[in-house]
Parts: sequence; C-alpha cells; structure tokens
Amino acid sequence: MKLGARVVRDRWISLGVFIAIAAIWQVLSVIYTVEAVPGEPMVAGWQVLFTKTFLSMADYWAGGLGVPSVAEGADRSYPAAALSLADHSLQTIIRLASGLVVGGGIGLALGLAVSWSRWTRRLVDLPVQFLRTLPLLAMVPLFQLWFGTNIAGEILFVAYGIGVIVFAGTVNAVRNVPSIYIDNARALGASRLTLYRTVILPAILPEMRSTVLLSLGTGWGAVLGAEYLGAQSGLGYVIVYAQQFAYLDRMFLIALLFIVYTSISYWGVSKLTARMLDWAPPSQRL
Amino acid sequence: MSTNVAPRMIELVHVERSFRRADGTDVKAVNDVSFVIPEGEFVCLVGPSGCGKSTLLQMLAGLLEPSDGDIVVGNKPVTGPGPDRGVVFQKDSVFPWMRVIDNVEYGLKCRGVPAAERREIAWTYLKHVGLSHVERAWPRELSGGMLKRVAIATVFANGGRVLMLDEPFGALDYVTRHQLQDVLLNLWNADGAGTRRTVIFVTHDVDEALSLADRIMVFRSGNKVDDIAVKVSRPRTTDSLLLPEMVEIKRKLLHHLGLDHAAGLDAVADEAVA
Repeated sequence: MKLGARVVRDRWISLGVFIAIAAIWQVLSVIYTVEAVPGEPMVAGWQVLFTKTFLSMADYWAGGLGVPSVAEGADRSYPAAALSLADHSLQTIIRLASGLVVGGGIGLALGLAVSWSRWTRRLVDLPVQFLRTLPLLAMVPLFQLWFGTNIAGEILFVAYGIGVIVFAGTVNAVRNVPSIYIDNARALGASRLTLYRTVILPAILPEMRSTVLLSLGTGWGAVLGAEYLGAQSGLGYVIVYAQQFAYLDRMFLIALLFIVYTSISYWGVSKLTARMLDWAPPSQRL
Repeated sequence: MSTNVAPRMIELVHVERSFRRADGTDVKAVNDVSFVIPEGEFVCLVGPSGCGKSTLLQMLAGLLEPSDGDIVVGNKPVTGPGPDRGVVFQKDSVFPWMRVIDNVEYGLKCRGVPAAERREIAWTYLKHVGLSHVERAWPRELSGGMLKRVAIATVFANGGRVLMLDEPFGALDYVTRHQLQDVLLNLWNADGAGTRRTVIFVTHDVDEALSLADRIMVFRSGNKVDDIAVKVSRPRTTDSLLLPEMVEIKRKLLHHLGLDHAAGLDAVADEAVA
C-alpha cells in the first residue's frame, strides 16, 4: 500500500534526524571541552552520560530493597542508580498524574459551567479568566510559601497549570459544538443534564484531546517547577541538587529522561483517546 | 375550516417574530400569522427563501420564542421544545458519536423507555426506512440520503404527534429526494386514517409541495399570503401533477413566488384570492 510505504519512509526519516542530533551532540562534546567547574564538562559525551553520570544517580538512592545506598557507605552501583532513577521518576509521575486528574477535572467542570446557565457563567467566567492570566512560573515562590514542602502544594501547582489550559480548551470546544446537535437533542426531549452527558461531552472530545496533550506539556514543566519548591524527591529535586554543584551532565541526563517520559505520555493519551474517537472521521483522530 | 371534524392540533394566533439587524433596525421575519391545523393534516409551507417559513417552524418547535402572539399545540401552549413535536432539520442532525440504532433510540432513552422496548421500536422504524442493514454503523459511513432516513426514523420512533420538517430534502439529488418523499408518505400513511400524525413540511420546491400536501400555505416577507387545499387523491403520481386542478394550484404558487413568466401569467391579472 502506498500510504503504508509513506509511513515507513517517514519513520526512517525521523529516526535519521534523531541519530543525527545525537551525533552532533557527540561531536560537540569532543570539540567544545570547556568545563563549568574542574571535571564537569559543559557538554558531556554519550560515553560519560551512560557510565559515570548514570552511576552518579546512585547518590540519590535512599537505600532499601537489599541495595545499600552511598550514604550507608556502599560504592555507587548500577542497581542503586537504576532504582534511584525509578524511584524519583515515580514520585514525579505520581505528582503529575494527581495534578492531571485534579486540574483536568476541575478545569473541565468549570469550563462546562460557563455554558451551563447564565448564573454559572457569571460565577465562573471572570474569576477563572483572571486566574488564567497569572504567570505560572511567577507562582512558584507563592506556592512555596503557602504550602512549604507539602506534597499537596506540588500537586495543586501542577493542577493549577493544567486546569487553566483545560478550562480555556473546554470553553472553546463547547462554543464550537454545532448548534444543530443541541437543537436536535432538545427537540427529542433531552434534559439539560442529558444534553451535556450525551451531546456536549462527546462532541467536544476531539478538541479536548488536543487540549489535554497541550496541557500535558505544561504539566511536565509544572511538575518540575513544583519540585524546585523544595521537594525531597522527584526528578526536579535531582536537578536542583545537581545545579548547586554544577553537575551539568546529571541535569542533561534528567532532561533526556524527561523527553522520554513526555513522549510516552503523549503516545499513551493519543492511544487511549483514539479508541474513544472511533466514530470521528480520520481527520479528527490524528 | 369550521366544517373540519378532526380536532385542532396546532393553533397560531397573531404570531410575530422580529430580529434585530446588525445596523440596529428591526426586521419582522414573521408578521401577524394566524392559522389552525387539524390533527392528521399534511401541510406544506411554501415561499421564497427569507419569507419566514423556517422561523415559523423554529417557533413551533419551541427552539425560538415568538415576539408576540400565542402558539398552541395539542391544547398546550408551546413554551419550549418537547417530544410531542418531532423536528427533521435541513442540516444533518444525526449524532456522529452514536451508532445508527442508538440515534434512533435517543429520544426514547431520554424519556426513560426501557432498553428492550426502545430497541424494538427503533428497530421497527429503521426497517421502515430501509436501513436495518446498517443498524450498527457509524453515521460517517452513511450517505446524505441515508442520514435523512435515520433522522426521519428517529422522530417517528420518538412518537410525537406533530412532525415538522424544515426543507429536509433540499440538499439531496432528484432520485434520492423522490425516494425519501415516498418513505415519509409511507410512514405517515402506516399509522392509518384517523391516527395519522400532523405534518408541517417546509419547502421551496413547488412540485414537492403538490405531491405531498393536503394543504399548502404560502408565505412572503413574513406574511401568510395564501392557504390552498389540495384535494387530489393519494397516492399521487407524476400524472397527478398534470391534473387541471393541480396545474391551477401550481400556477397560483408560481405567481406567489414571482415566477409569473414560468406560470404563463404574464398578461393575466392578479387572480389569487385567499
């Protein structure tokens, strides 16, 4: 099939670009040997990142599971490094997922409230539009002072970042629902609640899908920001710690990990929602 | 009119509707319209585009409020949309996120009809419109004519005693349009004399009105300008349209639409009297 052949060719091109970027990075690490502090190159080559840098992740391992930590006097080991990365990743992902559920849920509910009735519009629209204009990163110190190192503060920060995007996306998507479907449902006897459940929600799904993907990008950024707040775990914590000692290679390794996680989460949301969009024409399912 | 034995189904009393234009002036889309439609009658509303016939239908459906006047359907004043009045819209109204059978069941489900019962009803009407083979299909897999069949099955399944159709077949090709006219008439007839539903059918196609209607109301610039009974028996064929009384009605309609030349009325004085 022609289309299939094109997809395969596109994949090879993507892979080629990917390898080229990795190669450029490697070349850069050889010709640009400036060090931030002695022993810490500005650009760390792959041979460093996957050995010394990866091993150094063992420093963040708290011990347990039969793998002793560096603090307990053990040498850096690959198992400790791998467990450490997995543990901190899990912390970050839990914060992101909780924030996504809380923020997505509240954003969706408030977004729907804008079109529900004149009263709910008046109650919700202006305050949330105001909240929306607050710059997310400027809120980091505020949240730090309000919640300290409490995990609730980190989740709320992520929820806030995601919530305002989902809110705006919902308001817009509801506005774009063709009025013919609403008229038809009302003429057939649907109550307002039924109308929202059976018409508005499915009709906004294709647009909400891109909104969720957009908010997911912000969410990954927000969870890092939240962990700068002074969390004692998570990938953001590893970066903050590494920054204090100018461990550029560690920061870069975490950044790479972020790229992988973000891609997986995009792919996961796409797959999940594609199944819910069986009904839509292919152009809306991409 | 007073000799009609069937009870009043629809009554409009001095109904008006105005819209505000962008430049601030008011336009009367419907101007002081009154009429009574007895139960079981098939009425066509005919007029040039912008004559207010669709606005009138929207008000009857309860999707638009009149600026003035009263609308009563089945002895109840119309205050909003309701399942007692089914609407087939000009645009495609079939929900793309529900399978065909779920679309036909939708109204029944809204009113809490048990699953088995509503499936039975939906299935019956789907068979009536000739779509039982695509019961589980997504609407995107259907042609425009098939979508109209689904919409018709949906309003019939919903059981409203009044059906309103707003230029339903306007966007369809000649063959499909005629097939769907038959589908509609067959469903309407299937109820049997005395229990037929009341139908209001908006169209700008004169021949369509002549082959469907018991009665044709003509609208122009928001006013009802004529109200013509079509007494030719059913079923009507292409030959029926050539009967002298049909030709006479067609002349009148074309005259109202400003097509005097086509009606051969260039030199004839205005003889249209309500």
